[in-house]
Amino acid sequence: MRAMLIEFKVNGKNYGREVRPTMRLLDLLRDELGLTGTKEGCAEGECGACTVIMDGEAVNSCLVLAPQIRGREIITVEGLEQGGELDLLQQKFLEHSAVECGFCTPGMLMSAKALLMKNPHPSEEEIRLAIAGNLCRCAGYSKIVAAIKDASHSADGGCR
Amino acid sequence: MSKEFRYVGGTFPCDQALRKVTGDLLYGCDMKPAEMLYAKLLLSPIPHGIVKRIDTAGAEKVPGVVKIFSHFNAPHKMFNSCRIIPGQKFCIEDEPLFAARVKFAGERVAAVVADSLAAAREAVSLLDVEYEELPALLTTEEALNNKAVKIQPGGNLADQYEIEVGDSAPAADCLVVESVTQTQRTHHAAIEPHVCLAHYDGSGKLTVWTPTQGVFGVRSVLAEFFNLSYSKIRVIKIPIGGSFGGKQEYLFEPVTSFMAMETRRPVKLMLDREECIIQTRVRPAVRVKIKTAVSRSGELQEFIADTTLDAGAFTGSAVDYSRTLATKAPKLYRIPHYKHTGRAVYTNTVKSGGARGWGAPEIITAVEVHMDQVAKRLQMDPLEFRLHNLVYPYDRDPVLNLSLGDARVRECLEKGAEAFHWKERFHRHAQEGGRYRRGVGLACGAHKNGMYGGFVDCTSMTLRMNEDGSLNLNASLHDVGCGTATAMKIIVAEVLDLEPDLITVTEADTELTGYDPGCYGSRVIYNVGACAKETAEKLKDKIMESAAFILQKPKEYLCMAEGHVFTMEGTDERRVLSYKEIAERAIRENYTDLGVAHTYYSPSNPGSYSVQFAEATVDTMTGLTRVTDFLAVGDVGRALNRGMIEGQFQGAVQMGIGYALCEEVKINDRGKPVNNGFKKYHLVNAPDMPDVKVLLIEHEGDDGPFGAKSVGEISAVPTAGAVINAVNHALGTSLSDMPLTPEKVLAAIKQTEDQG
Ligand code: FES
Ligand code: FES
Repeated sequence: MRAMLIEFKVNGKNYGREVRPTMRLLDLLRDELGLTGTKEGCAEGECGACTVIMDGEAVNSCLVLAPQIRGREIITVEGLEQGGELDLLQQKFLEHSAVECGFCTPGMLMSAKALLMKNPHPSEEEIRLAIAGNLCRCAGYSKIVAAIKDASHSADGGCR
Repeated sequence: MSKEFRYVGGTFPCDQALRKVTGDLLYGCDMKPAEMLYAKLLLSPIPHGIVKRIDTAGAEKVPGVVKIFSHFNAPHKMFNSCRIIPGQKFCIEDEPLFAARVKFAGERVAAVVADSLAAAREAVSLLDVEYEELPALLTTEEALNNKAVKIQPGGNLADQYEIEVGDSAPAADCLVVESVTQTQRTHHAAIEPHVCLAHYDGSGKLTVWTPTQGVFGVRSVLAEFFNLSYSKIRVIKIPIGGSFGGKQEYLFEPVTSFMAMETRRPVKLMLDREECIIQTRVRPAVRVKIKTAVSRSGELQEFIADTTLDAGAFTGSAVDYSRTLATKAPKLYRIPHYKHTGRAVYTNTVKSGGARGWGAPEIITAVEVHMDQVAKRLQMDPLEFRLHNLVYPYDRDPVLNLSLGDARVRECLEKGAEAFHWKERFHRHAQEGGRYRRGVGLACGAHKNGMYGGFVDCTSMTLRMNEDGSLNLNASLHDVGCGTATAMKIIVAEVLDLEPDLITVTEADTELTGYDPGCYGSRVIYNVGACAKETAEKLKDKIMESAAFILQKPKEYLCMAEGHVFTMEGTDERRVLSYKEIAERAIRENYTDLGVAHTYYSPSNPGSYSVQFAEATVDTMTGLTRVTDFLAVGDVGRALNRGMIEGQFQGAVQMGIGYALCEEVKINDRGKPVNNGFKKYHLVNAPDMPDVKVLLIEHEGDDGPFGAKSVGEISAVPTAGAVINAVNHALGTSLSDMPLTPEKVLAAIKQTEDQG
């Protein structure tokens, strides 16, 4: 299998990389770019720990192949903080005790971010649906939902 | 409620939360020291058989492969994955690094170490193993009946016991009720898969980085296994992406250390989800038979239980776990005559192990489902029936012969019933018909606070005030995500009246932090927290002494507030010293250091209680159940970090609903686990979770810091019972074969219809 050269953007930065056609986006981010905030919990698209945003949509990076991101823009958890300031969602997760072991947190944040980018004022049901693919074993979702709701109640909908 | 406190009872993010939301915190999967090698395991596809031969030729040719291990080139010595000190009771050493005779499908047969994960994986797929298959015993019945096949050398009965307290003399007109509840194997399902990293350096020192709940136990097992000096082993607790008991036992530290010692390079073993499900540990399946005799007015006269626990293929923690089942009901109910017979049985299935609540969710679910059946036979509200029998504060646990302390289970039940509008809902829903049936259920639960009365429960720590007035607490904590490190900060901050943010707390490292048996057994807040409080008080004394010396005033004339020491009102002149000034001048002028060391021995082990209320809606067409409302009430003594405690309960309810309705590691008739990934092993997700309300009962009657008691395990004890009782209430059934899958629910509906 020949490696292929692709260009893409991650967290606002342009990259050109040679990738194997079978490489997963998750491995590209973690192993090649050193962005280890994105986690692996199941490798089959069920737990959401690997969620990143691809052109505005939340995707499971364990199910996306690296060549598929050619010309696209990816946001990972490392890209949420801007200019040394936490994203509103990150702040609200801290305030609402929505973080326990933290392993689901990056994926949760990215699903929530993708939701608020599209729908700045979601209902509770929409929030729960947006994180339906993100499993959390520690916190039982209530605090996470409350944190996302709180972020969405702010004037700019939690999005920059 | 806690306005006299400055920090206790507030809401604070867990330690490291900031690094968790930025993705900056490094977990085991993110660690990559120079020269690191990757290990990948080969697991047995059969449940029982002899590993006759392994052809490694193909695997060896894979570029990057460094070494291949199996029982052919590894020690045949055995270890026990949960023993903390050598010679520990019930900890038979019967688990090998690699199997010569595999005893369950999923057991370690071989491992490849390579310089990339891809190479290790490819090589494992090329290993060719020849097995001689042996008959497999997949259920406890088979294992007990089949004397010809021995899973362990001593046979298939790992342990049996009998406990009896009180006299048997139930009145003649008693109601006698019998029930059988079958609990199932479940997967802990921490979102972080298991991981371990080990390095054996040129000086002969072994360092292990592991998301464990007990570094000193890991060190002891490694030292004895490899004949190394304890001082030449360093075990460091790294961030854990959830454990729930799943990472409590030392599953991979021995095998990873072995591979590191053989290759002299850092070796990392990372499991995938399937491996976590089929070869780590599961919550044991337990068959519980209960027979009670109850007076017509609703007083329990006699309680006789019999339990059979499926231990899986080795001993591990199974004997202790099985015996613990006998200690829960007497913490919850007053029982004049109590008898429990129990056994743990080896089978050719995945090993059972420590799981959140350590036996309490299993036995209490059975007890609470049974209690509802009794109440129904008595035509009594289940709430009233429980009020006739629940323990009172300062009752004695007759089995362990310990005081239950300020046991507030009655208050949990009464206040919870009021908040949940139990009475109206219980009577209203019973009348409803139609396709969707609603019911409510409640269950009570009891758990403990540490090991006092049965095992070592001491902890040592040091606390030092730095030159700028900030603090370093050096303690052997193993925060599993429930916020224990933050709780320690809150305790110390409260005693010394300074911002929790000014305190840095360590986690466990055998080389740097004091002895502690491990963060499990609901002992951390109650005992380690009490140690933190006493340590802070000791430091407070020392700070006051230093201030007294500097101010040349007797200590009795000084007081402490908001990071300062003052001369009291009414003394001749008002003088103030900041902590910073005291700490600096203590060193400069008094030639002393503001540091203290302390060891705490737990003096008691009261009960922790929770009562939970569930509303379930059952679709009688599909058999699907949804939990539509939930209230968890906790007797927590004193809330230290309110937000985190609520989160603990809410997370416990997520786990308990899954336990009641859908989670099960199923094993087919060839001994293979069938649901080996999250596609087939379902966890309750956000849309299916109710918004769980939490009500905390605070009394501070016991020895924990500011009265605090354990939360993390008790929160998970009554959930499944409440949910099952709600389903039975909705349908008029007496389902008790867990989990309550749609098939079982539909069958039960059909059965009641046929009977009705
Ligand atoms: S790792 Fe991608 S969804 Fe679980
Ligand atoms: S915080 Fe641990 S899995 Fe969500």
